This record gives sequence, C-alpha cells and structure tokens, in this order.
Amino acid sequence: MSHNKVVLSVQDLSVNYLTQRGPLKAVSHASFDLHKGETLALMGESGCGKSTLNLALMRLLPGNARVPSGQIIYTRRDGSTVDVLKMGQDHLRRFRWSECSMVFQAALNSLNPVLRVRDMFYDTARAHGEHNQHKVRRRALDLFRKVRLDPERVFNAYPHELSGGMRQRVLIALALLLDPQIVILDEPTTAVDILTQRTIIDVLLSIKDELNFSIIFISHDLSVAAEMADTVGTMYAGEIVEIGPVNDMFYRPRHAYTLGLLEAIPRLSAGAEELTSIPGSPPDLVEPPSGCKFHVRCPFATDICAQEAPPLEAVGERHSAACWHADRVHAKALEFTGAES
Amino acid sequence: MGIDHAIGFGAAATPTGLIIGIVCGLIPLGLGLRKGFVRPALLGFAACVFGGAAAGIWGGLLMIVLTTAVVISYAYVDRQDPFTSRASLDQVNFEETRSDFFIRRMAALGRTTRSATHALVRNKAGFLGFLGLLFFFVMTVFGPLFIEYDGESHMERRRPGASSLYQGPSREFPLGLDWAGRDVLSHVVYGGKNLILVSAEAGLLTTIVAVALGSLAGLLGGVVDQLLSALSNFILTVPSFPLLLVLASVITFDNMTYLALLFAGLYWPTLMRAVRAQVFSLRERDYVQAAMALDLGMFHIIFREVLPNMISYIVVNMIFTIRSAMYNLVGLVFLGMVPIQEPDWGVMIYFGRAKGAIFNPQAASMLISPIIAIALFQLFLVLFTRSLEEIFNPRLRQGL
Amino acid sequence: MSQPLVELRHVDRSFKQGRVMIPVLKDINLTIAPNEIVCLVGESGCGKTTTGKIIVGLLGQSAGDVLYQGRPVGDYRGKERAAYRRALQIVHQDPFASLNSAHTIGQILSYPLKRHKMVASRAELRRRIWELLTLVDLTPPGDVVNKYPHQLSGGQRQRVSIARALTVEPKLIVADEAVSMVDVSIRVSLLKMLHRLRDQLNVAIVFITHDLALAKYFAWEGRIGVMYLGRMVELGPTPEVIGNPAHPYTRALISAIPEADPEVTRHKQRMVLRSEDIPSLTEIPPGCAFHPRCPFYVPGVCDARVPPLGQAPGFRHDVACLPLTHGDGLREYRAPVSEEPG
Repeated sequence: MSHNKVVLSVQDLSVNYLTQRGPLKAVSHASFDLHKGETLALMGESGCGKSTLNLALMRLLPGNARVPSGQIIYTRRDGSTVDVLKMGQDHLRRFRWSECSMVFQAALNSLNPVLRVRDMFYDTARAHGEHNQHKVRRRALDLFRKVRLDPERVFNAYPHELSGGMRQRVLIALALLLDPQIVILDEPTTAVDILTQRTIIDVLLSIKDELNFSIIFISHDLSVAAEMADTVGTMYAGEIVEIGPVNDMFYRPRHAYTLGLLEAIPRLSAGAEELTSIPGSPPDLVEPPSGCKFHVRCPFATDICAQEAPPLEAVGERHSAACWHADRVHAKALEFTGAES
Repeated sequence: MGIDHAIGFGAAATPTGLIIGIVCGLIPLGLGLRKGFVRPALLGFAACVFGGAAAGIWGGLLMIVLTTAVVISYAYVDRQDPFTSRASLDQVNFEETRSDFFIRRMAALGRTTRSATHALVRNKAGFLGFLGLLFFFVMTVFGPLFIEYDGESHMERRRPGASSLYQGPSREFPLGLDWAGRDVLSHVVYGGKNLILVSAEAGLLTTIVAVALGSLAGLLGGVVDQLLSALSNFILTVPSFPLLLVLASVITFDNMTYLALLFAGLYWPTLMRAVRAQVFSLRERDYVQAAMALDLGMFHIIFREVLPNMISYIVVNMIFTIRSAMYNLVGLVFLGMVPIQEPDWGVMIYFGRAKGAIFNPQAASMLISPIIAIALFQLFLVLFTRSLEEIFNPRLRQGL
Repeated sequence: MSQPLVELRHVDRSFKQGRVMIPVLKDINLTIAPNEIVCLVGESGCGKTTTGKIIVGLLGQSAGDVLYQGRPVGDYRGKERAAYRRALQIVHQDPFASLNSAHTIGQILSYPLKRHKMVASRAELRRRIWELLTLVDLTPPGDVVNKYPHQLSGGQRQRVSIARALTVEPKLIVADEAVSMVDVSIRVSLLKMLHRLRDQLNVAIVFITHDLALAKYFAWEGRIGVMYLGRMVELGPTPEVIGNPAHPYTRALISAIPEADPEVTRHKQRMVLRSEDIPSLTEIPPGCAFHPRCPFYVPGVCDARVPPLGQAPGFRHDVACLPLTHGDGLREYRAPVSEEPG
C-alpha cells in the first residue's frame, strides 16, 4: 500500500471549539497520510476528537469551530494538489461528494422521509451538475446490486420502508454515486444489529476492492477495524497517539492507550478472559493535563510523562507512537497478545 | 386600617415601608459585615430597603430571607459540610446540629439565588426585559409619591384659541393634556397598576388551572384524560374573544378579579393541552420509570420528577398568557364592554377614540402614550422570558 | 436446590398497535435463582427488553404466570407487595436519560431511602448515601453528592443508576443494555463492579445485551439465553452456548461477529443465511420463526411445528430446534432446482 500514491495528507491539524470557559482543543496537531485504496480506521472513545476530525476533512465544522493550524492536502486524480482548508466555496462544493463523500449513521432522520430514494439520488447528482437521470439511475442500480440491495425495489422506496441495514447501504451507495476517491464513514456499524453489521462489513469489503477507493472510518469498535482496516490510528484527547499497519497495532502496539483498549475488549473466541479497564475518564479539553494527556490514567506513567508531551515518533515501518515508554508497552503487549516481536 | 395599613401592603411607598425596609436590612447588613463580605452586605441592605419600601412587611420579610441566604452562601464554604468532604467513610462524622443544618439550607438557598441572578444577567436581552419590568414596577409603586393624580377636569387650562382641551407635550406637562385638560403623564403613571395586576392574576390563574388539569390528564390517562380532553376541546372550539366580549357585556363586574377568572376559564385549554403533551412525553423517560420501579409514589413523580422539568416551559407560557390577558383586557375596555375605571391605560385609549382624539393632532400624545406604555410592557415581558429560560434550565445548574 | 427467585412460565406478551395485536413475546420459560447471573441476548425486536421489564414487574404479561419466590405476583398484597416491588430493580441503558437532571446525586439517592424509611435520621441518611457511592466506586463520595447528573460522565452516571437501584436492597437487578452507551474502556470496570456487588450483596443479575462477546464475559459463570422474534431459542451455561452453540441462529450470530484480532477475524468461517430479511413481528413465519433464513431448514418439519425448548443429544443445554431435539441433527438445506428464478 505504501507504494500507492498519497491521496490525502493531513498535516498538523488542530481544531478548537469556542466555549464560555475558553477554547476547547478538540483536535491537536493531527497528522496522517491516506494512500489510494487504503482503509484507515481512526479509533477512540467519546471526546477523543475523531468526529471533529471527520467533519474538518469535509469542512463541515459548526460555527463555533476554529482551525488555528494545519493543512489538509488533497491530491486529485490528475496529480494536482490543493489544501482543502483553503478551498473557495465553489471548489468546495465540487470537492464534497465528487472527490470525497461521507456516510453518516443510518438513523431514520439522515434520510429525508418525504423523498423517495431515487429523488435523493437525482437531487444529489443534479447538485453536482449531472442532469442525465438515466445515467444516474443506471449507476445507482449498479451500486445497489453491489451493496446487495434489491435494485428496483429500493430505488423507488421511501426511507421508512427500509430496514436500518438497508438504509445504511443506501447511504453507502449514495456516497459512491459520483465516484469519489475518498469515502468517510462515521460509525458505520454502531447502531445496527450483529447480522446486519456483518452484511455491511462484507459489502464494504467487496466494493472497496472493486471500485478502489480510499476509506476513512471512525469508530470505537476495534473489532470492525480489525476486519476492515489496512491502517489503524488511535486517538486520545484530540491527538493521534499511535498509528500503524493493522497487524502491528493489534499485536505489537506501542502506546499505553492502544494496549489499554485491547485489554478491555472481550473476545468471543477466547474462553474465560481476564480483562482490565482503563481507570479514570477522558480529560477536560479546555484545560488538558500537562505533558502526555494520557498520563493520568496510564499504568506506565513516570515523571517525564507529566512534564513533557511525547512526540509522534516512528517505532517501526510506517508505525508511529507518541509514548515515552513505547518499549515497555511493547513488551507487555507481546505478553498479552502472544505474538512474536 | 391602622396596623394593617401600616405594615401590610399598605405600607408600600410610604415612610413606614421605608423604615420597615431599613430595619429588615439590618440583618443581612450586620451578618455580612461581621463575616467580612462588604459588597453582599450592602447589596442585601439595599435590596431589603427596596423590598420594604415597595411591598411593606411582605417585601421586607421576603428580602430578609433571600439576602441573608445569599450572605450566608458567601460565608459558608461547602467543604465545611462533612457530606461533601473528601475524607473516607470511616473518618467522617455525619451528625450535625440544628443550627448547622439551618445554615447549610440557607446557604443552598443563597447559592440558588445567586445562580438565578447570574442567569438573569447573563442574557442581555432578558436582563433588558427585567430592567424594563422593574422600571414599570417602580413607576407604578413609587410614581404616586412624586406625581399627583390629575383626576378632575381642568377647563382653565384651555389655551386661548384652541378648540379643545387637548395639548401636546410642553415643559409643564411632559406628555400633554387629555380631553379633560388633565395631565397625561399622571394617567400613565397611575394607569398601569390595575391593568398589570389583573393581567397577572388572569395569567396566574390560567396557568394554575392548566397545569393542574394537564398533569392529571397526562399522568392518570384513561377516563380522566378523555373527560378533560373533551372539555378542553369543547372550550377551544368556541372563539374566545367574542365569547369574552359577550360575557363581559352581560355580567357587571364590581371586582376586576372576576374578569381574571373569566379569562382563565376560557383560556386554560390551550396551555392544558401543551402541558398534557409534555407530561405524556416525560412520563416515558427512564428516570420516571425508575421512580415507578422504586415505588416512590404518585406525589413524588408529579412534583419532584415531572414538574421540575417543565418549570421553564410553564413559566414562559405563563408570561405569554399574561400578555394575552392584557391584550384581551385592553380590547374589552377599548370596546367599552367593561365599566370604566380610571386611571387605566385601556381607558385612555377608549376615551381617545370616544372623544375624537384621532382627529386632533394635539391629542396625539394622549393616544400614543398609553399605547407605547402597553407595547413597551409587552416587549419587556417577551424579553424577560429569555432570562427565565436560562434561570429555569436545569442543565445550567452547577453543584459545588 | 433453593427456591427460584423469579420464574416465568409460558409467558406471552402482546401490544396493541391500532387494531393489530403484535406478539412481542411467546411462550417464555425462564427460572432465575437467587444470586444467579443470566444474560439475555438477541437482536433488536427479539423481546429481550420486554422480558426484562416483565421480570421487574414494570410490565404485566398477556398470558402465562410470573412467580416471585414461588408465588404468583398477583397474589402479593399490601406490605408483601411493597417488598416484592422493591426486590426487583432495573438499570437502564441511557446514562443521560436515566437520571433526572433537576436533582443532585445526593437527592436522587435520598428519595428511595427516605420513602421506604430505610434510614432513621438525617445523619444515617448521609452515611448510607456515602456507603452506596463507595460501593459503586464513586470515590470520594463527597465530590459527587452535590453534583448534578450533567456534570458527570456517562460511566459515572451509570454507577449512580446502579447505586440508586441498590438503595432498596433488591434481590435482583435487570441491567438493560446498561453498558452499551458507555465508553469501551470503562465497560469492563462497570461489569466487574456488578460481579462484585453480586458476590457481596447476594443480588441476582439479569443482563440484557446485543453484544454476544460482552455477554460471554459477564455471564461466564452464569447462563445465556438467546432470543429471536419473541421466543427463547437457546438457553444454557455460557461456556456451553458459546463454545458449543446448537441453534442455527446462535451459530449465525457467533460466526458473524468480528473479533478484535485481525488474523482470527479475517479467516473466520462465516455462516451464510438463506435470506437477509428479518420478518416483522406482525408476520411471523409459521413453525420455527427462523426457518426462512435457516441454512439447515427441513421442509415439512421446521415450518410445521413450533419447536419447543428442550434437550438435544450432543449438547448440555436446551435448544429450540426440531432437527436437533427430535431429528438426526443439522443437515445443510439444498433448495430444489425448480426454485431458481426463471
């Protein structure tokens, strides 16, 4: 994957929300690269900044958000680059959906209840300059087949006639309508049942290979990341604390938070398990802890962790972690996962 | 007369009231200065004086409680309370004396008052509304101290060559003279009291009836709900203002409170429906279900679980009902359906029409002044609701 | 064997929607012993939450019997009835809706204590509140008692909910998806706390969830019941149900769940179901409700009779599947050629 070209490069991105108490640092100095055809999973829990990061990528941030630093460099198919944060409104409209689209959670209210599915597709296409309804219809039905939906029936249905899983797949098809290079998925499987989740994961895996687009998805569900992702990044308190290839992240993590997450999740295939939770709760983002933001809850923390924030450093091939004790974490991780170094 | 006049509401805006206020104010003043909180002490003293002067002993007593509570809340730090200490279970002694308990409760009241005041001030529009209403309050209560009520006709004030007694604003009469040569300003100052009082009464009564019936219908459901809904539907289908007109013209009112009752009787359905809907939705909330599982009782569920979450809604709607009542009242007076009782803003408008003020440019002030007064009052009411929403919003509360 | 705490016998429950009666539960049989852990798992619409509410007494049953300590719950009157209602408590899923934001934590805990006269004085009330908060690991309690719910995190609010349930010293707590809306890293500590409470306070716990892995972890020493479209399709000790699943639906669930282990989850054998459509509760298929989707469907058997929950050879727990309990076991179903679309 690393020899593929970089499609999106996020550099030192920070996002603040203005609140009564002061700026809330929702995202701090996030950096990562997304290659063509790569699936990146951003993992984290409530308050980690992953949703804000997602919104920032498409410039959908609310009114009280400010971007004090950072660049989001997008590479078009012809090779030219542009900073999403500096795009003009016209350009941004074209960027959204034709180059980069988003799949929201499949709640009933993410689809207009008074419009049929086909109207949504026609409207979206029209808004991006595609007025040929036949073409849109053909593409939509083709996409529906790929996501295992009954094409004719769903195309002409109202949202409330579809189940949650079907609505999610409609949203996926809608996101792919204009053949974007990047699709962003926001908690794609969180609100759905086990069997529906399975279908959605299978569908995503098959079309991503077929249509060769890049995926960024955010979730708190590590098991979905284990299935789908090529690269996994963990976020804590607005920072990307570790990022690397999926096998390295799951078997050889180097950041205490990643390890903490792995130790806290029950696995069906393991018999009786010993799990450990991470004590404490997410920090206040208006006045975050000094040094490493995770140090308050970290079992490996020492004095330096409270004084200085560790930089995101390479710890392996394409694998970086922001931890002063990456080695100790690594050793413990090998114990836990039983993997080889 | 006598004692009651001197120390009840009758003491408002009199030297007696002022003295009562000062005496009451000594308590928070003394307490605050002793504890070293000068500003709250002085503010508390001022508030008591104002309360006493404005509403006699009732105002004074109310203010004593509130201001002392506020002063205590400054002096009392929650950490003194073993309940909120950071000690561990075996180290702590939970016994407390009666006086400690009293002080703790007063401090809690004080904190609530302070946070309500902060919420009031925080919203600029709301605070403006509050100041406006305060202005009207002061004008109504204290105005009579400074301005004499000009109730009799003054033929002698007619200007030479003028066809009527109307006069525009001048240095002697800032708002001019009305059809009988009387000072418009004095009418404006004195004319608000009745109107505001009756509107407030009407609003309060309507709200009480609507909340009571709405909660009952919402929580009990079944037959009770069906009966009440049928009744409210029936009243709703009848056009209220025309009915009010007819009833007002048929029944003679010696006491304006009856008018307020009539208004409440016709306008409760709308608010009742809204309250009922709110109660229905709140009933399904998890914490209400938990209260039922814990067998906490109907009384608790109504007054402790459901109503506190509706307070903001109820209070705001009460303000809107007061507004509506005022408009209805002015409408009735303007149409001559209610016996004329001067001074009254509505009556001024009525006479304005009846006595041909519309045709006389000199009479502009007499016509416009009450209209502006009513409109301003309504505006301040609306603005004030913004602050009320903030004050009653439970999510803005901060424990210690 | 000591007397069961709660027993559901042939419990049905239907809801009226317009003119139609929707059968949400059918023929539920469940016995919960004191101090036991039982998990109810299933997807949305399977009836697990309704079962939880019937266990606690928030809902009545449309048919069948609900017994508490051997007696039908309808028989309890007066003081005994009050005691029965207190003995069964529920903790809800949503930490943001389960606590009334108009009250402080101290107030929330004080209401049941005062109402049921569980404390004799104000000092004792405050002591008891501290004890409860310590029990649910909200320490120091002094930091929390005067706070309002919106000032606490989701995990802390769930702890308060549990403490509130404990105020009346219940014998059984139903936790309805109680950790689903809490951060992943905190879930385990909440579950461990529930384990500890069960040991210390002798409380039975019924844990309702759609997350099979979580159910496995929590109920490893207890039982799991799998529900589908209002019926119990499998019930037994957790290691058995998870390690040796019998019912095709359970097998499908287990095979469908992704695991937090890339090698394992990417090479996992997935079971393919014959149909993706979940029948609605108003049109439940005849016989075994799962048969239209079941890869081991036996025509004439599975669509003819409703399978009873019973013993099957080769398994140490109960399953509701006719080929297993009364037949030769599971065989893959091959559709006849004529079914192919023309």
